[in-house]
Amino acid sequence: MKYTLPALLVFFLAACGSGDPGTASDLLSDSLLNRNEARISDKQVIEIITSIPNPVEMSSLLQKCGVIYSNDLLNPAGNISKYNTNYKKALNLGTYGTDLVHMNIFDRTTSSLEYLNNIKDLAGDLKVGQFFDHETLTRLSENSKNVDSILFITNSGFDRMSNFLQEQNRTSVSVLIGIGTWVESLYLATNIEKATNKDEVFNRIGEQKEVLDMIIIMLSAFADNEEFKDLMEDIRALKIIFDKVKISYTYAEPTMKEIDGVLVIVDNSTSSVAISEEIFNEISTKISAIRTKIIN
Amino acid sequence: MSEEILKALMQLFAIIAKQDVGTSMNEREFVHLFLMQQLSESSVKEYLALFDNKAGFDKDKKESIEPAGVQRKPRLTSVKDSVRTLGIAKKINKTLTQKQKAVVLVRLFELVNSDKNFTPQRMAIIDTVAEVFNITKEEYSSIQIFVTKDDPAEFDIPEIMVVAGDETTVSPTCKCIVSRDLDKNVLILRVSSVDLYFIRYTGSDVLYLNGLHLSSGRIYLFASGSVIKMSIGKPVFYTDIAAKFLADSSLLNIDFRVKDVGFTFPNGKIGLQSFSLAEFSGKLVGILGASGSGKTTLLNVLCGLDTPTHGEVTINGINLHKRKDLVKGVIGYIPQDDLLIEELTVFENLYFNAKLIFRNLTDEQIRERVLKVISNLGLIHAKGMKVGNPLDKKISGGQRKRLNIGLELLREPSILFVDEPTSGLSSRDSENVMELLRELTLRGKLIFAVIHQPSSDIFKMFDNVVIIDDGGFQIYYGNPVEAVMYFKDKDNQVNREIGECPTCGNVNPEMIFNIIEARIVDEYGQFTEKRKKTPPEWSEIFNSTGEADIRNGQANEYLPEPQKMPNRLKQFRIYFIRDLLTKLSNRQYLNLNLLISPVIAAVLAFILRYISDPESDTYLYRENDNITPYIFMAVIIALFLGLIVSAEEIYRDRKILKREAFLNLSRTSYLTSKISILFVISAIQALLFVIIGNSILEIRGMYFEYWLVFFSMAALANMLGLNISATFNSAVTIYILIPFLIIPQMVLAGALFSFDKINRFLGGGSENVPIIAEFMPSRWGFEALLVKQFVDNKYEQMPFNEEGITLYDLEKQISINDYKNVYYIPELKGIVEEYRFRKARNPEMKIPDSDLELLKNEFTREMKVTTQFNFGLMDQLYPGKYNTKVGDSVIAYCEALQEHYKAEFNKYYYIRDEMIASRLKDSAPKDEYYNLRDHYYNENLTAFAINKYAFKKLVRINNHFVQKIDPIFLDPQEISFLNYRTHFMAPRKYFLGRYFSTFSVNVFTIWLFTFLLYFTLYFETIKKSLRFLENTKPYIRKPFRFLGNQLSIGILVLFGKQKHRIKSGTDLTAKNGVDDEGSD
Repeated sequence: MKYTLPALLVFFLAACGSGDPGTASDLLSDSLLNRNEARISDKQVIEIITSIPNPVEMSSLLQKCGVIYSNDLLNPAGNISKYNTNYKKALNLGTYGTDLVHMNIFDRTTSSLEYLNNIKDLAGDLKVGQFFDHETLTRLSENSKNVDSILFITNSGFDRMSNFLQEQNRTSVSVLIGIGTWVESLYLATNIEKATNKDEVFNRIGEQKEVLDMIIIMLSAFADNEEFKDLMEDIRALKIIFDKVKISYTYAEPTMKEIDGVLVIVDNSTSSVAISEEIFNEISTKISAIRTKIIN
Repeated sequence: MSEEILKALMQLFAIIAKQDVGTSMNEREFVHLFLMQQLSESSVKEYLALFDNKAGFDKDKKESIEPAGVQRKPRLTSVKDSVRTLGIAKKINKTLTQKQKAVVLVRLFELVNSDKNFTPQRMAIIDTVAEVFNITKEEYSSIQIFVTKDDPAEFDIPEIMVVAGDETTVSPTCKCIVSRDLDKNVLILRVSSVDLYFIRYTGSDVLYLNGLHLSSGRIYLFASGSVIKMSIGKPVFYTDIAAKFLADSSLLNIDFRVKDVGFTFPNGKIGLQSFSLAEFSGKLVGILGASGSGKTTLLNVLCGLDTPTHGEVTINGINLHKRKDLVKGVIGYIPQDDLLIEELTVFENLYFNAKLIFRNLTDEQIRERVLKVISNLGLIHAKGMKVGNPLDKKISGGQRKRLNIGLELLREPSILFVDEPTSGLSSRDSENVMELLRELTLRGKLIFAVIHQPSSDIFKMFDNVVIIDDGGFQIYYGNPVEAVMYFKDKDNQVNREIGECPTCGNVNPEMIFNIIEARIVDEYGQFTEKRKKTPPEWSEIFNSTGEADIRNGQANEYLPEPQKMPNRLKQFRIYFIRDLLTKLSNRQYLNLNLLISPVIAAVLAFILRYISDPESDTYLYRENDNITPYIFMAVIIALFLGLIVSAEEIYRDRKILKREAFLNLSRTSYLTSKISILFVISAIQALLFVIIGNSILEIRGMYFEYWLVFFSMAALANMLGLNISATFNSAVTIYILIPFLIIPQMVLAGALFSFDKINRFLGGGSENVPIIAEFMPSRWGFEALLVKQFVDNKYEQMPFNEEGITLYDLEKQISINDYKNVYYIPELKGIVEEYRFRKARNPEMKIPDSDLELLKNEFTREMKVTTQFNFGLMDQLYPGKYNTKVGDSVIAYCEALQEHYKAEFNKYYYIRDEMIASRLKDSAPKDEYYNLRDHYYNENLTAFAINKYAFKKLVRINNHFVQKIDPIFLDPQEISFLNYRTHFMAPRKYFLGRYFSTFSVNVFTIWLFTFLLYFTLYFETIKKSLRFLENTKPYIRKPFRFLGNQLSIGILVLFGKQKHRIKSGTDLTAKNGVDDEGSD
């Protein structure tokens, strides 16, 4: 099952995406979709996409925290037949990517080929198949035990794809992939009843408040698009819940430290997230609802 | 003669004798003599007593006890006697053959003649008898003349011939043979209805009939092969007499001459040394010899199957081997093996043969004729029986043989060659068969029969025999009875002048062979291997006797006109019906052939009916991963079924064909009838396969296309099968060939192995389908269905707008533009960029010529497709002319193109998305969409058709970029008027200046192959080339032979045991196999 590892990796790349902000506006430039008025610049979109956390990070965290893995949480592979529009395809390229990463991090690779295949199919349909080629997969499999390498490969892969899509005036595709990834990742993180160390997960979820803000800004670029409207509303509803999360930020002087003979600057500031079980459950419910819409 | 018959005869004799004047001494003496011939001394007395009793003869008185006596007035035949006569005659009628009856009648006349007492009463009784015996008035009167008259003037009737000492004594119109020094005439009567000859001699010279003394005044049966010898003068042979009688009959005259004919086998072995003979119509000629001496070889040369190495065979002066066309219809050939169609009845065998032969006859007439032949053959009771094969006998061996002859009989060829007509038959059956042949000669046929160990009766039936000794030497040619004497003479035996047994009339042909093959005894009294006289010695002796000089005769230039053959269409119909009936009557064959395709389809489809979701029980066509394999299998199965139905067809018919080769029949008719039947079978098989297979797999709406391809493939395979079955001479070879034909088709269909990944030597990995695969029908069939299934299913054909733009069209545009935009243009641009990069490091670097060539090639292509952009510096893309400016221009051109393709891509990309999204909005179109998608679109097929797992999206071949992804959306790139070649799975093909759908081009191509194979079949091209190979130098041939032998041995080992079991000990396989090796 050498493939599975690479496979996983592949996604994250999509998922973790640090995308370049495709030129949202370009996308729209196409008369048919009429999405040309971006409210933010391509550059901003790139930055935003990049800031969406890579699912590799989230899944590693979940594993560390003793979350129990369940296949039931994943988007069933058979659902692919339901994705007939580019909108759906892009979103679910994200969800499947996240799922693949997730199952690989947990070493549950039985069905990873199926997910890998779905990803290839969706990417092919979206005409971004070149980023899921043999070469990338090989590199991923070679680095399967090294989370950092995987992060690097996937992030850079996603970057390249986002750049490409921006060039092709199809930034919306990378935006949707990013959102799909993020939602799925969040969904997985909110189903952790049996975790041994819930606090860390709670914190991480709380931190998504900032990510969410950026996603909203990013989505605003596509406000005119029919398909995006629904999603936008859901995300906004989610934001209302997230607003209840308090993040406090304590500033401290950075210090210099010599590590292995190299001088580095250490950021001593800390932030703390306050998220109650109740809010967490609310988030969980909402994310689950959004995700259900996406995958069906 | 049975007791009963003898008694009946005695009574008849008595009744006649006692009429009128009563029984005379002479008459009694005649009866006595007659009985002496038939019976032993003691029985003679018994029967004579019976005669005396009935005739009222008192031997003591030596006078009639009739009180009326001589003095009495002749009185009328008593009613009692008349009734009794009738009763006796009828009784005889039931038991005796017509021949025997004729003999009885002659005897009755002889009885009366013994006393010359021809009273009306006596004649009345004989009349009655003749009438009951169904003897015609003419024959009756000729018998009467023959027996009773002595005046030569009275013999001027056609039935009587005279051997006269002085021809002036007979009337000039009378048939006559002159034999000087004969004191009185020898009379010969021919009873033509039964073909019997009687001989009567009244003179006092000493004559011998077959070495036995001929009593004056007595009447003898002059059997075929007989000879009359006089003390002085030339003997008179049966054949001379028969020839006289036949000479003036209206039958055709055939003058068949063989002059110094020799034959050498292709392997250099001498088959025949030098043969000469001359024969005429109405002769039955036997070819005798030890086994292996060359009898059949001689027959084959004489009938024209083999061409002699030297010498010539002429028929009425026409060279048989050089002018085959002229004499073809004159010759008939009956091989040793039965050439019957086993599945047909006796009647049908004859009927279809007759149909093929006679054009002018109506169906009614043909039936009549066939029935007549059947009754002549004595097969009336077996008429409706199936022939069966030797292992599953339906009719007896003798009946088979007779039927075999009957097939030729129908046509009545003037010369008939029969190979071992009696082999394997009981002596009774043998005799019946030979009598049948004998009868044919009466109708003017000239018959040559190879015979092994003939019985005395059969031996004597021949007019002439040719005796062959080991090594193909002609050691005798002439009268059969004479032959015995000849060899006895040459062996210096006693009694050499007696040819047949004086008492029983038997001739012992064995004796001839004993003499010929007699071996020297060594001093211990043991036979040595050495013969007393070797074949060349015998041959020399024979040549020195001068017998070999063939008689001179007037060569008749006139040839009988062969039967008018039905025209081709009619022949076709007859062949067709015959074949059809053959097949229909073979239940097993029929059932198997009709069942095989649906069963295979069911099994295959059932196995391949895959549900990908382990949780679900609902089958979805879309998700079935086995559609491509199914298409591939269907194509291969079509080939396979087509081959096995046809592979044995011609081979099985080859014997029948050998016979029919003499009929001048149309090969076209034969082949087309075969082909039509096979096509019908294949069409039905295709239909059953597709209905069952496609239904199980739920492949919708493509039944006709699948059927057409399946049928076309099977038809092609039929033709292929016919070709091999016409080429090879054993069933094992043919079946062993099937894998040889199928396996390359499997490998090179494009399904199992990608054309990109086969040996480059064969054309793998190039832009187009490898050349070798262009010759694989499987590739054309597979591609046809694959493309059809992908492009023309209802899902891909979902309309986008009113103008008929379909989903497929959109996807095609998306694919084309995406490829150009994402892979192709960047690669082009990369050429220059790469060069610049290198040049930066090494300023000396020149752009490679091949790169310039590539740019030139690709730009030329590109400018044809995208006309709105032009690359102006084409003339600078040459070595030496390239400079930075050109490089910039290349990049600029590429970028312009890329922009263009990007825009185009986005346009179609969104149109397609829009189209689908709009359908998904409302529930009705949404359901329809899903319905189409689930039932007409298949993921596995799509993955294959778009080459989803392609390692490289594009490759550089010969300074061209070749697209490797999405072949199903890629039109042929290099189009020209006559270039039919494309990459695999092109959606359409360009030929003769326009585009055709791949499906139609491919199906057309398959039929083109089929058509070509018809020609190779018609002209037997494969056979001829193989023969050519065989005739090449031995050192080339040897390895082939060796391989062939090894192969055969292997096959024997493999199949031998199996067949053994099936065929209960008859090792047919082994036998066949060995034969195959031997015959080349």
